[in-house]
Amino acid sequence: MGNNVLYIEDNPDNMMLVRRALESRGYRLVQALTGLDGVNKAETEEVDLILLDINLPDIDGYEVARRIRSSDKKHALAYVPIIAVTANALKGDAEKALSAGCDVYMSKPINIRELWARVEAFVPSPNSK
Amino acid sequence: MKTSYLTDLTCSDCGRVFSINEVLTFCPDCQSTLISNYDLNAARANVDRDEIHTRSKGMWRWHEMLPIQDPENIVTLGEGDTPLLRLPRVGNELGLSNFFVKDESSNPTGSFKARGLCAAVSRAKELGVKKVIIPTAGNAGGAMAAYAARAGLQAMIYMPKDTPNANIQESRIAGAEVILVEGLISDAAGMAGVKAREEGWFDVSTFKEPYRAEGKKIMGYELAEAFDWTLPDVILYPTGGGTGLVGMWKAFAEMEALGWLKNTKRPRMVSVQAEGCAPIPKAFHADASFCDFWLGAQTVASGLRVPKSFADRIILSNIRESNGTAVAVSDKALMQAQKKLAAMEGIFAAPEGAACLAALEELVKQKWVQPDEKIVMFNTGSGLKYLDTMN
Repeated sequence: MGNNVLYIEDNPDNMMLVRRALESRGYRLVQALTGLDGVNKAETEEVDLILLDINLPDIDGYEVARRIRSSDKKHALAYVPIIAVTANALKGDAEKALSAGCDVYMSKPINIRELWARVEAFVPSPNSK
Repeated sequence: MKTSYLTDLTCSDCGRVFSINEVLTFCPDCQSTLISNYDLNAARANVDRDEIHTRSKGMWRWHEMLPIQDPENIVTLGEGDTPLLRLPRVGNELGLSNFFVKDESSNPTGSFKARGLCAAVSRAKELGVKKVIIPTAGNAGGAMAAYAARAGLQAMIYMPKDTPNANIQESRIAGAEVILVEGLISDAAGMAGVKAREEGWFDVSTFKEPYRAEGKKIMGYELAEAFDWTLPDVILYPTGGGTGLVGMWKAFAEMEALGWLKNTKRPRMVSVQAEGCAPIPKAFHADASFCDFWLGAQTVASGLRVPKSFADRIILSNIRESNGTAVAVSDKALMQAQKKLAAMEGIFAAPEGAACLAALEELVKQKWVQPDEKIVMFNTGSGLKYLDTMN
């Protein structure tokens, strides 16, 4: 297993925060700023875990999760761990994220210790190997 | 006399230090709660514990251990110094000889939320904030509205639309703009956060602002004083956001450092939640260091409908450090406990407070508490604010 984390997020501040946090633990971050770019990168790059914002500028995170899970181009995406990350802006975000195919739900603001623990539950930190 | 011994704030995770002169929310690096620090050595040398007892009643007689720098900025409605009452009849039924309630319903706006919002709004005023925003499960909104009105600050409140009517009305009559949200406090928090970022409101959400916990911690000081500078064996605390539990645990450490306690014995902290929304008991018993977001939260105790506290790690850590536990009770059990407290002791407790009695009944059955232990449950508010949920 590799250590590549795809983060699909349009907010540059969150992107920078998560990049710094995960790279400090030895992960390689692949970034996508839109939902469609996220689906494309999931299908074309080596990805071991996906962090998925729900409020994206084109297709929302639920649709991204559904497209990733049902990808014809890369069947392994049916099993890649997806952690949904949202600001709880709409009712039932968590339930909808899980039913769209996400494995875990985290709310913003993202606590870094929790992020590390959630990611490491699926992909061990390269720094701890 | 020095007004406050506050020195700085530190991030509860990374330890980054922040100036007290900044308007602060939470640590921007690791997005964790900030902790207020005081010069405890100086306070130990200069503050006379017993002299505090002679001051005018209320939370602000502990001003040295609160964050306000200039007394002119204290926005008070007479909060604090709530009664600590023995519960002899219920205690006798449970076989407990030292059972007490700290009855927070006598605070302004009828709940313990007054303490935290009093400190937060006072500090916001001191730092020049003009408008404050909060997501709430109920009582925090009413308290913020009242203190903001008193301070002359603009107030906006996001609350679930099934919040008790008393909370909605008390907020509106105090001049706050109230937005009713389809969903839970977590949904309200998301919307309030967006509004705060877009329009520059200061967000006083639980633990996303550092001073609410400081107001709440005074409950711990009052308990110690009432028990002649010792602490009870067990504290049962209804836990939504958890500021009171975290605040009191901090207060115990401060008092020990100040040399005010007669011994180093600390209470076992019991976090009480409802079965329909029990992220803390679930995480505690699973040995987890943080909570999963609780899906489909549902309980009549609106203050306990918090799917995940922002400070879940600190709450869990404090419970474990205290050798405490976490208990979830059914709505049926907490409503029966509410009736029992009213019928046997004359205390019309909020459902959240009554949940503590229901939890204690479980702990007695498990022999987790001993008959002669000094046990304090917190009633966090008045049952009168929940009349529309009684049926």
